[in-house]
Amino acid sequence: MKKYLVKDIMVPISEYATVSEGASLYEAVVELEKAQEAYQQSQYSHRAVLVLNKEGQVIGKISQMDFLYAIEPKDASLDKIRENQRFGFTRKAVALQQEEYLKSSPPITDVYSMVSNMNVNDYMQKPTEGEYVDENASLEMARHQLTAGSNLSLLVTRGEGIVGILRLSDVFAAFFHAMKKSEPQRKKEAGK
Amino acid sequence: MKELEKLFDRIIQRVNINLRELEFDVHPMVGNLVPRGQMTKFYAFYGITPNHPLNLVFRYSNLAGSYFLGSCRVTNSLLYKSDIRGDELKKKGDIFQYQDFNIPVSEDEEIRIYDSFLIKTLVHNFSHDPETLERFFIRDTISTHYANIHGAPSDGCFLGPFATVDLTTMRDCVIGAYAYVQAGEISHLNVDPGTVWVRQPGVFNFMYRYPREQLNNYIYFAPGSPPQGVFMDFVEDRKEAFQRVFDVVNIETHSAVPDSASLDRFAVIKPKTKIGENVLVAQRAFLQNSTLGKGANAQEHCYIINSHLRGNNVTAHGAKIIDADMGNDVFVGFNSFLRGRPEARLTIGKDCVVMPHTIIDIRKPLAVPPGTLVWGLVRNSEELKENSIPLNAFSKIDSRICKGNMLFEGNGGSFVSGFKERIHHILEANGAFFDGKTNRGHAQRNQNLSFNTLQPYPEGNKEGLYPTIIIQP
Repeated sequence: MKKYLVKDIMVPISEYATVSEGASLYEAVVELEKAQEAYQQSQYSHRAVLVLNKEGQVIGKISQMDFLYAIEPKDASLDKIRENQRFGFTRKAVALQQEEYLKSSPPITDVYSMVSNMNVNDYMQKPTEGEYVDENASLEMARHQLTAGSNLSLLVTRGEGIVGILRLSDVFAAFFHAMKKSEPQRKKEAGK
Repeated sequence: MKELEKLFDRIIQRVNINLRELEFDVHPMVGNLVPRGQMTKFYAFYGITPNHPLNLVFRYSNLAGSYFLGSCRVTNSLLYKSDIRGDELKKKGDIFQYQDFNIPVSEDEEIRIYDSFLIKTLVHNFSHDPETLERFFIRDTISTHYANIHGAPSDGCFLGPFATVDLTTMRDCVIGAYAYVQAGEISHLNVDPGTVWVRQPGVFNFMYRYPREQLNNYIYFAPGSPPQGVFMDFVEDRKEAFQRVFDVVNIETHSAVPDSASLDRFAVIKPKTKIGENVLVAQRAFLQNSTLGKGANAQEHCYIINSHLRGNNVTAHGAKIIDADMGNDVFVGFNSFLRGRPEARLTIGKDCVVMPHTIIDIRKPLAVPPGTLVWGLVRNSEELKENSIPLNAFSKIDSRICKGNMLFEGNGGSFVSGFKERIHHILEANGAFFDGKTNRGHAQRNQNLSFNTLQPYPEGNKEGLYPTIIIQP
């Protein structure tokens, strides 16, 4: 397999969906949707929006999951129900109790108004130490970081700054294509 | 009293170290809960009977108003008006069954209380931890008013008032007020007040959470204040009745108690109370104008008032039954509070199981149909509908069910049969099935207990501390 470096397959930050800190969750979701449309030609689309501070540095990330989490109903009783997994209940049981509880709550009819008033800073995931990788690191190194942290992407650094995003899907594709490429050679060797 | 203060500080520190991960500070919870003066006022006492081992060792501890039976070692601890009942401990040679293991017990089991502060707490049953069969340990633990530590070894825990931990080993846990836990083994958990949790991993899991606002009316416990609410008012109102039974040395015996029944001399029996055969009434139980039919029992801190129990009724530790009619074979779990009114009686049909820590508090007459499982807060027929289910319907559950604040998952049949077996075992252990020759239990064995008293240093640095005492046959 060709010795790829992280910078060979990362998405440059200029091509990634971003919003400024303090933006509404609605704005973040619109950016995410735009980015996905722009990448229709690629089989792997964007699944997150980066949140930048005034200096243009990445301070967080909003994923589709964060958006769905943000619009989940919230109150103290629901928090307690969700805690029940710590007491040995399965996800199905917790979901059942949540559903029962929500039967008595009014449904959310206007998601737009709801997310327009939500600040992206309140829902973004702040990157942790293990989510940064140097642009000159090997792909093996990046793969190890992704699997160790169960991350969907890594922030690629050059010195102090962030220059790109390394997505799980691109790392997977690199290894997959390398595997496919080596297949005829292996078959040939096995047939000898 | 300097030594007593030192001991108190030492226990607080040890418990806090254990609970640091939960960021729980016990000091504001218990700092002023029992005035030190109270801890020098009361004698401790222990029972002697030929039917139980006698092996008591007390070192550097305060034992004010506490009761001991069986085999128990207390070191560096404060025990205030607590009951340490070692009459169900395992004996050398017993075989303990755990999953597929049959484990022989190598020596008589002992209750060991180290570096702990127990306030009006009941310790009973035996260790269900297969790793410590011969030691029922309670270490670095604080428990507050009317808590039950029942077959539940404990290390580094805090129990709020009226909390119960049952057949569960717990480490570094906080058990909130009126929470009930029966889960085998737990660690580093903060269980909210009013949580009722019964779990057998891989088989079933039951949980009910009291609505906090309503629970606060019955029991409210916050740092800096003693426990408050209906439960505390109820027991405080009847406190004086116990004064006499503890003050008088030779108390008159209650007339018309059958030979097969046992009535503890530290129980309060008010007029018009009728005791049937094979009945067991434990110390600190309170009976008034009530009938206990054959094989019924009233355990520690039970109150049965203006009520009729038809027979083979289990009224577990701390349960209260007021203005109620209970059918045969009704089980009322730990610390349940069942209150009818003179003009609105509560009827509970035969074979019902009232889950531990259930509150039924009614203003209009209410009848629970026979064979029903009841839990949680029930103040009217609507709440009964939400918080009950026929036992035979519950037995058919094989996935999950959610009713109001109750969530159950697993095998309902195992849950019900587990309860039924346990009820049968309790009746058996209490002597409910005694036929004059066989099936003797506590009701027959605990008769003619003798009691001795123990006193602390009356003054000086050691005021309130009991000298090292070893009591053996």
